Amino acid sequence: MPETPEEPLPGGDTPVAPPGPEAAADGYQVRLDVFEGPLDLLLFLIRKKKIDIHDIPIAAITRDYLGYLERKTEINLDREAEFVFIAALLIYIKSQMLLPRETDLAESEDPRRVLVDRLLEYEKVKAACSLLREREDVQILQWKRDFLPPLHGEGELEPLELSSFDLAESFFRLMKRRADDTRVIHGREVPVEAKMKELVTLLQARHVLDFLEYFESAESIEEALVSFFCLLELVKSRVAVAVQDELFQTIRVWLRKDPRRTAPHE
Amino acid sequence: MNSALKALIEALIFVSQEPVTLAALQAVCEGVPADEIQAAVDELVRDGEAEGRGVRVLRAGGGWILATKPAHDREVRRLLQIERKNRLSSAGLETLAAIAYRQPVTQSEVSAIRGVDSTGALKTLLEKRLIKIVGRKKAPGNPLVYRTSDEFLLYLGLDSLEGLPSEAEIAKILEEEKAVEA
Repeated sequence: MPETPEEPLPGGDTPVAPPGPEAAADGYQVRLDVFEGPLDLLLFLIRKKKIDIHDIPIAAITRDYLGYLERKTEINLDREAEFVFIAALLIYIKSQMLLPRETDLAESEDPRRVLVDRLLEYEKVKAACSLLREREDVQILQWKRDFLPPLHGEGELEPLELSSFDLAESFFRLMKRRADDTRVIHGREVPVEAKMKELVTLLQARHVLDFLEYFESAESIEEALVSFFCLLELVKSRVAVAVQDELFQTIRVWLRKDPRRTAPHE
Repeated sequence: MNSALKALIEALIFVSQEPVTLAALQAVCEGVPADEIQAAVDELVRDGEAEGRGVRVLRAGGGWILATKPAHDREVRRLLQIERKNRLSSAGLETLAAIAYRQPVTQSEVSAIRGVDSTGALKTLLEKRLIKIVGRKKAPGNPLVYRTSDEFLLYLGLDSLEGLPSEAEIAKILEEEKAVEA
Protein backbone atom coordinates (compact mmCIF):
# COMPACT_ATOMS: atom_id res chain seq x y z
CA MET A 1 0.00 0.00 0.00
CA PRO A 2 1.65 3.25 -1.07
CA GLU A 3 2.10 6.11 1.34
CA THR A 4 -0.26 8.90 0.57
CA PRO A 5 0.83 12.45 1.16
CA GLU A 6 -2.54 13.92 2.02
CA GLU A 7 -3.07 11.60 4.96
CA PRO A 8 -0.21 11.68 7.41
CA LEU A 9 0.01 8.53 9.49
CA PRO A 10 -0.44 9.25 13.13
CA GLY A 11 1.50 7.68 15.95
CA GLY A 12 4.13 5.61 14.16
CA ASP A 13 3.74 2.02 13.12
CA THR A 14 2.48 0.27 16.23
CA PRO A 15 -1.21 -0.31 16.10
CA VAL A 16 -3.25 0.44 19.15
CA ALA A 17 -3.70 -2.43 21.56
CA PRO A 18 -7.02 -4.20 21.87
CA PRO A 19 -9.04 -3.37 24.95
CA GLY A 20 -9.15 -5.38 28.15
CA PRO A 21 -6.50 -7.03 30.29
CA GLU A 22 -5.83 -9.63 27.62
CA ALA A 23 -4.25 -6.91 25.57
CA ALA A 24 -0.86 -7.63 27.05
CA ALA A 25 -0.84 -11.13 25.67
CA ASP A 26 -0.49 -10.33 22.03
CA GLY A 27 -1.74 -12.53 19.25
CA TYR A 28 -4.66 -13.19 17.03
CA GLN A 29 -6.54 -15.32 19.53
CA VAL A 30 -6.86 -12.36 21.87
CA ARG A 31 -8.25 -10.26 19.12
CA LEU A 32 -10.72 -12.91 18.05
CA ASP A 33 -12.12 -13.04 21.54
CA VAL A 34 -12.42 -9.31 21.76
CA PHE A 35 -13.90 -8.47 18.39
CA GLU A 36 -17.07 -9.89 16.95
CA GLY A 37 -15.82 -9.36 13.42
CA PRO A 38 -14.04 -7.00 11.05
CA LEU A 39 -16.63 -4.23 11.42
CA ASP A 40 -16.27 -4.43 15.17
CA LEU A 41 -12.51 -4.06 14.84
CA LEU A 42 -12.89 -1.11 12.49
CA LEU A 43 -15.31 0.64 14.80
CA PHE A 44 -12.92 0.11 17.67
CA LEU A 45 -10.06 1.67 15.71
CA ILE A 46 -12.20 4.59 14.62
CA ARG A 47 -13.28 5.34 18.16
CA LYS A 48 -9.85 4.80 19.61
CA LYS A 49 -8.46 7.45 17.31
CA LYS A 50 -11.49 9.69 17.77
CA ILE A 51 -12.05 9.73 14.07
CA ASP A 52 -15.21 11.20 12.59
CA ILE A 53 -16.97 8.21 11.09
CA HIS A 54 -18.18 10.35 8.18
CA ASP A 55 -14.64 11.41 7.31
CA ILE A 56 -12.43 8.39 7.78
CA PRO A 57 -8.76 8.77 6.82
CA ILE A 58 -8.69 5.51 4.89
CA ALA A 59 -4.91 5.14 4.63
CA ALA A 60 -4.34 5.52 8.36
CA ILE A 61 -7.18 3.24 9.35
CA THR A 62 -6.13 0.65 6.79
CA ARG A 63 -2.61 0.62 8.17
CA ASP A 64 -3.87 0.07 11.71
CA TYR A 65 -6.29 -2.54 10.52
CA LEU A 66 -3.63 -4.45 8.60
CA GLY A 67 -1.40 -4.14 11.64
CA TYR A 68 -3.92 -6.20 13.52
CA LEU A 69 -4.18 -8.78 10.81
CA GLU A 70 -0.41 -9.21 10.77
CA ARG A 71 -0.32 -9.94 14.45
CA LYS A 72 -2.04 -13.24 13.96
CA THR A 73 -0.38 -16.28 15.43
CA GLU A 74 -3.02 -18.77 14.51
CA ILE A 75 -5.11 -18.91 11.43
CA ASN A 76 -8.80 -19.52 11.48
CA LEU A 77 -9.60 -19.55 7.80
CA ASP A 78 -13.28 -18.65 8.03
CA ARG A 79 -12.73 -15.67 10.25
CA GLU A 80 -9.58 -14.71 8.42
CA ALA A 81 -11.52 -14.43 5.18
CA GLU A 82 -13.98 -11.99 6.72
CA PHE A 83 -11.22 -9.78 8.05
CA VAL A 84 -9.32 -9.91 4.77
CA PHE A 85 -12.48 -9.07 2.86
CA ILE A 86 -12.85 -5.79 4.72
CA ALA A 87 -9.12 -5.13 4.27
CA ALA A 88 -9.63 -5.53 0.54
CA LEU A 89 -12.59 -3.17 0.69
CA LEU A 90 -10.48 -0.56 2.50
CA ILE A 91 -7.75 -0.78 -0.10
CA TYR A 92 -10.28 -0.62 -2.90
CA ILE A 93 -11.81 2.52 -1.41
CA LYS A 94 -8.37 4.11 -1.10
CA SER A 95 -7.62 3.31 -4.73
CA GLN A 96 -10.90 4.90 -5.76
CA MET A 97 -10.03 8.02 -3.82
CA LEU A 98 -6.63 8.27 -5.47
CA LEU A 99 -8.06 8.29 -8.97
CA PRO A 100 -7.80 11.72 -10.54
CA ARG A 101 -11.21 13.13 -11.44
CA GLU A 102 -12.32 15.94 -13.63
CA THR A 103 -14.78 17.31 -11.13
CA ASP A 104 -15.02 16.99 -7.38
CA LEU A 105 -17.16 14.15 -6.19
CA ALA A 106 -20.51 14.90 -4.67
CA GLU A 107 -20.93 13.66 -1.14
CA SER A 108 -23.15 10.84 -2.28
CA GLU A 109 -20.39 9.60 -4.57
CA ASP A 110 -17.77 9.38 -1.85
CA PRO A 111 -16.16 5.94 -2.28
CA ARG A 112 -16.15 5.64 1.50
CA ARG A 113 -19.93 5.78 1.54
CA VAL A 114 -20.42 2.00 1.25
CA LEU A 115 -18.22 1.36 4.24
CA VAL A 116 -19.61 4.21 6.33
CA ASP A 117 -23.18 3.05 5.80
CA ARG A 118 -22.23 -0.44 6.92
CA LEU A 119 -20.35 0.83 9.94
CA LEU A 120 -23.22 3.07 11.00
CA GLU A 121 -25.70 0.26 10.70
CA TYR A 122 -23.43 -2.13 12.57
CA GLU A 123 -22.87 0.47 15.27
CA LYS A 124 -26.62 0.69 15.77
CA VAL A 125 -26.97 -3.07 16.01
CA LYS A 126 -24.23 -3.13 18.63
CA ALA A 127 -25.90 -0.40 20.64
CA ALA A 128 -29.22 -2.22 20.41
CA CYS A 129 -27.39 -5.32 21.65
CA SER A 130 -26.33 -3.64 24.84
CA LEU A 131 -29.92 -2.58 25.51
CA LEU A 132 -31.25 -6.04 24.73
CA ARG A 133 -28.60 -7.56 26.96
CA GLU A 134 -29.87 -5.46 29.86
CA ARG A 135 -33.35 -6.80 29.25
CA GLU A 136 -32.08 -10.34 28.99
CA ASP A 137 -30.20 -10.02 32.27
CA VAL A 138 -33.41 -9.09 34.08
CA GLN A 139 -35.67 -11.53 32.28
CA ILE A 140 -33.36 -14.45 32.82
CA LEU A 141 -33.90 -14.14 36.56
CA GLN A 142 -37.66 -14.37 36.26
CA TRP A 143 -38.96 -17.86 35.80
CA LYS A 144 -41.95 -18.31 33.60
CA ARG A 145 -43.86 -21.50 33.21
CA ASP A 146 -42.98 -22.09 29.58
CA PHE A 147 -39.29 -22.07 30.37
CA LEU A 148 -39.56 -24.40 33.33
CA PRO A 149 -37.77 -27.63 32.57
CA PRO A 150 -39.56 -30.84 33.45
CA LEU A 151 -38.80 -31.92 37.00
CA HIS A 152 -38.45 -35.52 35.91
CA GLY A 153 -35.53 -36.60 33.84
CA GLU A 154 -36.21 -36.83 30.17
CA GLY A 155 -37.21 -40.16 28.74
CA GLU A 156 -39.01 -41.08 31.95
CA LEU A 157 -42.53 -41.49 30.71
CA GLU A 158 -45.47 -40.88 32.94
CA PRO A 159 -47.71 -43.94 33.31
CA LEU A 160 -51.01 -43.16 31.70
CA GLU A 161 -54.40 -44.44 32.56
CA LEU A 162 -55.91 -45.92 29.47
CA SER A 163 -59.07 -47.80 28.75
CA SER A 164 -59.28 -50.59 26.26
CA PHE A 165 -61.23 -48.20 24.06
CA ASP A 166 -58.26 -45.84 23.95
CA LEU A 167 -56.08 -48.72 22.97
CA ALA A 168 -58.48 -49.86 20.28
CA GLU A 169 -58.85 -46.33 18.99
CA SER A 170 -55.10 -45.87 18.75
CA PHE A 171 -54.84 -49.16 16.95
CA PHE A 172 -57.47 -48.22 14.38
CA ARG A 173 -55.95 -44.81 13.90
CA LEU A 174 -52.63 -46.45 13.31
CA MET A 175 -54.12 -48.87 10.80
CA LYS A 176 -55.86 -46.03 9.04
CA ARG A 177 -52.62 -44.12 8.80
CA ARG A 178 -51.03 -47.23 7.35
CA ALA A 179 -53.80 -47.46 4.84
CA ASP A 180 -53.26 -43.81 3.95
CA ASP A 181 -49.59 -44.47 3.60
CA THR A 182 -50.09 -47.33 1.22
CA ARG A 183 -50.51 -45.70 -2.09
CA VAL A 184 -51.64 -47.60 -5.11
CA ILE A 185 -49.71 -46.40 -8.08
CA HIS A 186 -51.75 -46.43 -11.22
CA GLY A 187 -49.72 -46.77 -14.33
CA ARG A 188 -50.08 -44.05 -16.86
CA GLU A 189 -52.01 -45.21 -19.86
CA VAL A 190 -49.86 -44.92 -22.90
CA PRO A 191 -51.78 -44.94 -26.16
CA VAL A 192 -49.88 -46.44 -29.09
CA GLU A 193 -50.73 -43.48 -31.34
CA ALA A 194 -49.25 -40.95 -28.96
CA LYS A 195 -46.14 -43.00 -28.45
CA MET A 196 -45.80 -43.48 -32.18
CA LYS A 197 -45.92 -39.75 -32.77
CA GLU A 198 -43.39 -39.14 -30.04
CA LEU A 199 -41.05 -41.73 -31.50
CA VAL A 200 -41.31 -40.35 -35.02
CA THR A 201 -40.69 -36.78 -33.81
CA LEU A 202 -37.66 -38.01 -31.99
CA LEU A 203 -36.39 -39.86 -35.03
CA GLN A 204 -36.80 -36.78 -37.17
CA ALA A 205 -34.81 -34.75 -34.73
CA ARG A 206 -32.05 -37.21 -34.02
CA HIS A 207 -31.59 -39.11 -37.29
CA VAL A 208 -30.35 -42.20 -35.46
CA LEU A 209 -31.88 -43.37 -32.21
CA ASP A 210 -30.35 -45.68 -29.67
CA PHE A 211 -33.47 -47.71 -28.99
CA LEU A 212 -32.13 -49.43 -25.87
CA GLU A 213 -31.58 -46.05 -24.28
CA TYR A 214 -35.03 -44.92 -25.28
CA PHE A 215 -36.53 -48.15 -24.02
CA GLU A 216 -34.86 -47.76 -20.65
CA SER A 217 -35.93 -44.16 -20.24
CA ALA A 218 -39.57 -45.26 -20.20
CA GLU A 219 -41.30 -44.57 -16.90
CA SER A 220 -43.08 -47.88 -16.67
CA ILE A 221 -42.86 -51.34 -18.12
CA GLU A 222 -46.10 -50.68 -19.91
CA GLU A 223 -44.70 -47.57 -21.56
CA ALA A 224 -41.55 -49.44 -22.54
CA LEU A 225 -43.57 -52.22 -24.08
CA VAL A 226 -45.74 -49.80 -25.99
CA SER A 227 -42.64 -48.10 -27.35
CA PHE A 228 -41.43 -51.47 -28.56
CA PHE A 229 -44.76 -52.15 -30.25
CA CYS A 230 -44.40 -48.78 -31.93
CA LEU A 231 -40.99 -49.68 -33.20
CA LEU A 232 -42.31 -52.92 -34.67
CA GLU A 233 -45.20 -51.04 -36.19
CA LEU A 234 -42.90 -48.42 -37.74
CA VAL A 235 -40.67 -51.07 -39.19
CA LYS A 236 -43.62 -53.01 -40.54
CA SER A 237 -45.12 -49.96 -42.21
CA ARG A 238 -41.67 -49.22 -43.67
CA VAL A 239 -41.40 -45.84 -41.98
CA ALA A 240 -38.29 -46.72 -40.03
CA VAL A 241 -35.33 -49.02 -40.26
CA ALA A 242 -34.13 -50.93 -37.22
CA VAL A 243 -30.74 -52.59 -37.11
CA GLN A 244 -29.30 -54.67 -34.33
CA ASP A 245 -25.65 -55.45 -34.99
CA GLU A 246 -25.42 -58.21 -32.46
CA LEU A 247 -27.70 -60.13 -30.17
CA PHE A 248 -28.40 -58.22 -26.94
CA GLN A 249 -26.79 -55.13 -28.40
CA THR A 250 -28.74 -51.95 -28.82
CA ILE A 251 -31.01 -51.42 -31.77
CA ARG A 252 -30.27 -48.44 -33.95
CA VAL A 253 -33.32 -46.88 -35.52
CA TRP A 254 -33.62 -44.28 -38.21
CA LEU A 255 -36.28 -43.04 -40.58
CA ARG A 256 -36.37 -44.59 -43.98
CA LYS A 257 -35.60 -42.03 -46.65
CA ASP A 258 -38.07 -43.67 -48.94
CA PRO A 259 -40.53 -41.48 -50.86
CA ARG A 260 -43.21 -44.14 -50.57
CA ARG A 261 -43.27 -44.11 -46.79
CA THR A 262 -46.20 -42.56 -45.03
CA ALA A 263 -44.68 -40.64 -42.18
CA PRO A 264 -47.27 -39.09 -39.89
CA HIS A 265 -45.37 -35.80 -39.67
CA GLU A 266 -44.65 -34.38 -43.05
CA MET B 1 -63.86 -4.59 42.67
CA ASN B 2 -65.08 -7.88 41.34
CA SER B 3 -62.88 -10.25 43.36
CA ALA B 4 -64.45 -13.37 41.90
CA LEU B 5 -63.45 -12.22 38.42
CA LYS B 6 -59.95 -11.42 39.64
CA ALA B 7 -59.56 -14.91 41.10
CA LEU B 8 -60.83 -16.49 37.91
CA ILE B 9 -58.42 -14.54 35.76
CA GLU B 10 -55.53 -15.43 38.01
CA ALA B 11 -56.45 -19.10 37.57
CA LEU B 12 -56.61 -18.71 33.81
CA ILE B 13 -53.21 -17.03 33.64
CA PHE B 14 -51.79 -19.70 35.93
CA VAL B 15 -52.80 -22.64 33.78
CA SER B 16 -51.63 -21.06 30.55
CA GLN B 17 -48.09 -21.69 29.42
CA GLU B 18 -48.16 -18.84 26.95
CA PRO B 19 -49.26 -15.26 27.40
CA VAL B 20 -53.05 -14.99 27.80
CA THR B 21 -54.43 -12.23 25.67
CA LEU B 22 -57.33 -9.98 26.54
CA ALA B 23 -59.24 -11.56 23.67
CA ALA B 24 -58.68 -15.03 25.14
CA LEU B 25 -59.92 -13.90 28.56
CA GLN B 26 -62.96 -12.29 26.97
CA ALA B 27 -63.77 -15.46 25.11
CA VAL B 28 -63.66 -17.48 28.34
CA CYS B 29 -65.47 -14.96 30.53
CA GLU B 30 -68.54 -14.68 28.40
CA GLY B 31 -70.43 -11.48 28.73
CA VAL B 32 -67.90 -9.70 30.90
CA PRO B 33 -66.95 -6.34 29.39
CA ALA B 34 -63.35 -5.82 28.39
CA ASP B 35 -62.78 -2.92 30.74
CA GLU B 36 -63.83 -5.03 33.73
CA ILE B 37 -61.41 -7.74 32.73
CA GLN B 38 -58.70 -5.16 32.21
CA ALA B 39 -59.38 -3.67 35.65
CA ALA B 40 -59.15 -7.11 37.26
CA VAL B 41 -55.87 -7.81 35.50
CA ASP B 42 -54.49 -4.42 36.53
CA GLU B 43 -55.26 -5.24 40.14
CA LEU B 44 -53.61 -8.67 39.80
CA VAL B 45 -50.52 -6.95 38.45
CA ARG B 46 -50.52 -4.56 41.40
CA ASP B 47 -51.07 -7.43 43.88
CA GLY B 48 -48.07 -9.25 42.48
CA GLU B 49 -45.77 -6.34 43.20
CA ALA B 50 -46.50 -6.61 46.93
CA GLU B 51 -43.58 -7.80 48.99
CA GLY B 52 -45.45 -10.76 50.35
CA ARG B 53 -45.97 -12.25 46.91
CA GLY B 54 -43.52 -14.52 45.09
CA VAL B 55 -45.31 -14.70 41.78
CA ARG B 56 -46.52 -11.78 39.76
CA VAL B 57 -48.38 -11.12 36.56
CA LEU B 58 -46.26 -9.70 33.77
CA ARG B 59 -47.21 -8.19 30.47
CA ALA B 60 -45.28 -9.92 27.68
CA GLY B 61 -45.78 -11.29 24.20
CA GLY B 62 -49.12 -9.56 23.74
CA GLY B 63 -50.68 -11.00 26.90
CA TRP B 64 -50.20 -11.75 30.56
CA ILE B 65 -48.06 -14.40 32.08
CA LEU B 66 -47.02 -15.44 35.57
CA ALA B 67 -43.38 -15.16 36.54
CA THR B 68 -41.24 -15.37 39.63
CA LYS B 69 -39.32 -12.36 40.87
CA PRO B 70 -35.63 -11.80 40.13
CA ALA B 71 -34.84 -11.85 43.87
CA HIS B 72 -35.76 -15.54 44.07
CA ASP B 73 -33.69 -16.69 41.13
CA ARG B 74 -31.02 -18.42 43.18
CA GLU B 75 -33.44 -20.50 45.23
CA VAL B 76 -35.57 -21.35 42.22
CA ARG B 77 -32.51 -22.67 40.45
CA ARG B 78 -31.50 -24.64 43.51
CA LEU B 79 -34.90 -26.34 43.55
CA LEU B 80 -34.76 -27.08 39.84
CA GLN B 81 -31.11 -28.07 40.12
CA ILE B 82 -30.01 -25.71 37.42
CA GLU B 83 -26.53 -24.28 37.69
CA ARG B 84 -27.44 -21.11 35.84
CA LYS B 85 -29.35 -20.00 32.82
CA ASN B 86 -27.06 -19.28 29.92
CA ARG B 87 -27.23 -15.88 28.37
CA LEU B 88 -26.96 -15.68 24.63
CA SER B 89 -23.42 -15.45 23.27
CA SER B 90 -22.51 -12.03 21.94
CA ALA B 91 -22.58 -13.45 18.40
CA GLY B 92 -26.04 -14.86 19.11
CA LEU B 93 -27.34 -11.61 20.54
CA GLU B 94 -25.88 -9.58 17.70
CA THR B 95 -27.52 -11.87 15.16
CA LEU B 96 -30.80 -11.70 17.05
CA ALA B 97 -30.67 -7.90 17.15
CA ALA B 98 -29.96 -7.73 13.42
CA ILE B 99 -32.97 -9.96 12.74
CA ALA B 100 -35.24 -8.16 15.19
CA TYR B 101 -34.62 -4.78 13.58
CA ARG B 102 -34.41 -5.82 9.95
CA GLN B 103 -36.94 -8.61 9.74
CA PRO B 104 -37.88 -10.31 7.53
CA VAL B 105 -34.27 -11.08 6.60
CA THR B 106 -32.19 -13.77 4.98
CA GLN B 107 -29.00 -15.31 6.25
CA SER B 108 -26.87 -13.35 3.81
CA GLU B 109 -28.50 -10.06 4.82
CA VAL B 110 -27.77 -10.75 8.48
CA SER B 111 -24.20 -11.74 7.62
CA ALA B 112 -23.76 -8.53 5.63
CA ILE B 113 -24.92 -6.39 8.54
CA ARG B 114 -22.51 -8.12 10.93
CA GLY B 115 -19.66 -8.55 8.44
CA VAL B 116 -19.43 -12.09 9.73
CA ASP B 117 -20.89 -15.36 8.51
CA SER B 118 -23.97 -15.91 10.66
CA THR B 119 -25.07 -19.39 9.59
CA GLY B 120 -24.08 -20.99 12.88
CA ALA B 121 -25.64 -18.26 15.02
CA LEU B 122 -28.90 -18.56 13.08
CA LYS B 123 -28.97 -22.29 13.67
CA THR B 124 -28.52 -21.82 17.42
CA LEU B 125 -31.26 -19.19 17.55
CA LEU B 126 -33.58 -21.51 15.63
CA GLU B 127 -32.87 -24.30 18.10
CA LYS B 128 -33.65 -21.93 20.94
CA ARG B 129 -36.83 -21.06 19.04
CA LEU B 130 -36.07 -17.35 19.33
CA ILE B 131 -36.38 -17.02 15.57
CA LYS B 132 -38.45 -18.82 12.99
CA ILE B 133 -38.41 -19.46 9.29
CA VAL B 134 -41.31 -17.73 7.61
CA GLY B 135 -40.70 -18.67 4.00
CA ARG B 136 -38.36 -18.20 1.10
CA LYS B 137 -37.38 -15.04 -0.65
CA LYS B 138 -38.15 -14.75 -4.33
CA ALA B 139 -34.53 -14.10 -5.17
CA PRO B 140 -31.73 -16.17 -6.70
CA GLY B 141 -31.31 -19.34 -4.68
CA ASN B 142 -34.63 -18.80 -2.89
CA PRO B 143 -32.98 -18.15 0.47
CA LEU B 144 -34.88 -18.80 3.70
CA VAL B 145 -36.44 -15.80 5.37
CA TYR B 146 -36.27 -15.37 9.13
CA ARG B 147 -38.31 -13.52 11.71
CA THR B 148 -38.26 -13.35 15.47
CA SER B 149 -40.72 -15.68 17.23
CA ASP B 150 -43.24 -15.25 20.04
CA GLU B 151 -40.69 -16.88 22.31
CA PHE B 152 -38.36 -14.03 21.45
CA LEU B 153 -40.81 -11.50 22.89
CA LEU B 154 -41.22 -13.58 26.01
CA TYR B 155 -37.49 -14.12 26.33
CA LEU B 156 -36.82 -10.40 26.45
CA GLY B 157 -40.04 -9.53 28.26
CA LEU B 158 -41.36 -7.48 25.36
CA ASP B 159 -45.05 -6.97 24.76
CA SER B 160 -44.58 -6.62 21.01
CA LEU B 161 -41.87 -5.74 18.52
CA GLU B 162 -42.76 -2.10 19.11
CA GLY B 163 -41.20 -2.52 22.53
CA LEU B 164 -37.74 -2.98 21.04
CA PRO B 165 -35.35 -0.17 21.92
CA SER B 166 -36.16 2.75 19.63
CA GLU B 167 -33.85 4.64 17.30
CA ALA B 168 -33.75 7.44 19.88
CA GLU B 169 -32.71 5.09 22.68
CA ILE B 170 -30.04 3.59 20.46
CA ALA B 171 -28.76 7.04 19.51
CA LYS B 172 -28.60 7.93 23.20
CA ILE B 173 -26.50 4.84 23.95
CA LEU B 174 -24.14 5.73 21.12
CA GLU B 175 -23.74 9.26 22.42
CA GLU B 176 -23.08 8.01 25.92
CA GLU B 177 -20.45 5.61 24.63
CA LYS B 178 -18.75 8.41 22.75
CA ALA B 179 -18.89 10.66 25.80
CA VAL B 180 -17.18 7.99 27.90
CA GLU B 181 -14.40 7.63 25.38
CA ALA B 182 -13.87 11.35 24.89
